[in-house]
Amino acid sequence: MLPQRMKQVITDNPKKLANLIDLVNLPTPLREFMGRSQTSRLGCFMRVWSYIKEHNLQDPNNKNVVNCDQKLRSILLGKPQVELAELPSLIKLHFPKKTS
Amino acid sequence: MGKFPTSLRSAVSSSQLKISSSLVPAESPSPMPKRKPASSTRSWPSSKSPKTQNSNDSSKPPNSLPPFKSPDLSDAKKLFNSIVTTSRGAPLDLRFHNSLLQSYASISTANDSISFLRHMIKTHPTFSPDRLTYHILLAQSCKGDDSTLAPVHQALNLMVTNGVNPDKVTTDIAVRSLCSVDRIEDAVELVKELSLKHSVPDTYTYNFLVRQLCKFRALSTVHNFIDEMRSSFSVKPDLVTYTILIDNVCNSKNLREATRLLGVLTEEGLKPDCFLYNTIMKGYCMVSKGSEVIEVYKKMKENGVEPDLVTYNTLIFGLSKSGRAKEARKYLKVMVEMGHFPDVVTYTSLMNGLCREGDALGAFALLEEMEARGCSPNSCTYNTLLYGFCKSRFLEKGIELYRSMKEDGMKFETASYAALVRTLCRHGKIAEAYEVFDFAVESKSLTDVAAFSTLESALKGLKKAREQGRVV
Repeated sequence: MLPQRMKQVITDNPKKLANLIDLVNLPTPLREFMGRSQTSRLGCFMRVWSYIKEHNLQDPNNKNVVNCDQKLRSILLGKPQVELAELPSLIKLHFPKKTS
Repeated sequence: MGKFPTSLRSAVSSSQLKISSSLVPAESPSPMPKRKPASSTRSWPSSKSPKTQNSNDSSKPPNSLPPFKSPDLSDAKKLFNSIVTTSRGAPLDLRFHNSLLQSYASISTANDSISFLRHMIKTHPTFSPDRLTYHILLAQSCKGDDSTLAPVHQALNLMVTNGVNPDKVTTDIAVRSLCSVDRIEDAVELVKELSLKHSVPDTYTYNFLVRQLCKFRALSTVHNFIDEMRSSFSVKPDLVTYTILIDNVCNSKNLREATRLLGVLTEEGLKPDCFLYNTIMKGYCMVSKGSEVIEVYKKMKENGVEPDLVTYNTLIFGLSKSGRAKEARKYLKVMVEMGHFPDVVTYTSLMNGLCREGDALGAFALLEEMEARGCSPNSCTYNTLLYGFCKSRFLEKGIELYRSMKEDGMKFETASYAALVRTLCRHGKIAEAYEVFDFAVESKSLTDVAAFSTLESALKGLKKAREQGRVV
């Protein structure tokens, strides 16, 4: 978890980097949310996070929790509430590992 | 200088520089000014009146039109003719022709440039090419697509047949041009050839080439070159050469070789200067050998070389890095006594040392001390402190520091960003971690990918910790 290791992960592991930034054909629900048919995992995360900020979906009492609206629910397993901490892993579900 | 149209003034001044440097090569460390082809003549409009152009054209954006738009030779000749006929009254002297040639050379091929030069001589018999004219051709021929030295030889031969013998500046221009397109071997080849036929390179060219070889080629190549120059042309390495060599081996952490070189240069009757000692000291810093760093410092004093600010900064940095912040502190005092003003680098190094020992508060106190002395911290200072606070669990202070960094528009470094994000996550301040992530992306401190990977792995770590019941 050291920063040096972090750097190493990024530089020494092109596969890991690739699965972050490669454009992927999106499944239907995500396609509707993003308004486009292709995006990268990073792009998707940034979009969802900015969507949360734009619509003030963070719970005012506990900023670590997001109250999903209808649109967000459609892509986050239909949960009414998600924790910010699980956001990256929830989004990752839409980007299965390539089998090759 | 005299009466040049304003639009040509920049062309004049830049060619002036080249001319003067060709007259006194030894005094100029880089006889060839960084060539920005065409910029010198960019002011020359392809329309008629040069006088309407603004005089400070060097600051012009590159989208202003250079006179020559196509590499086609006949177009260039036509344009030249039209410039000549339309600018009657303006002095069409040597510099003017050289500027035009350089402008054309920057977009065309070596052969076309030579033809263009012939055309200029034919239409303007008063124009007799000088050294600079040939240097323009030479520089261009070095940068061509041809992977052999043939065009270079062509330019050199042209020079010689016209009674201009290649000198040290010629060598320098050729070497730098060749190196700028990664043709170091060719440059070495050419230096040997020119040394044989005309003149040996001056110390600047020689050291430049040694530095290039050090940077991009194996150490043996460097030594071969030095040996060959010594045996064939009795060009000896000087103190600067040795400093370059030592710096190079220090960077690859080969301190033994550095010590050997130090012995060699003393044998040759050279006396290490402050700069060389600093270089060696830096070498020991890179491998975190505090005692050796002090050793170098003592040796310096013994040999009567006065340490400068860089020496002290290196010393304090080295001691801090090898976990001897207390001694580093002592040298801070020594340095003040010697009349040097500790700067932001000094303090940041020391803070780094204190933070390494977990004394973030001590580092913070140092920040106040440095500000009291009128030395303002930079983003590196803040990052060091931020990292220190996060590591020694003063999260509140870290957040405070982060806010002031944000206010001052400072950027994150990877380490401090990662430390802050992880610490925030560990304390369950996920929203804050996201905010820090946003700032890192906005301020372009890190790439999106790096910022996100850090956040993701921090959250993953948190999940793991929760599963194991370490964090609630």
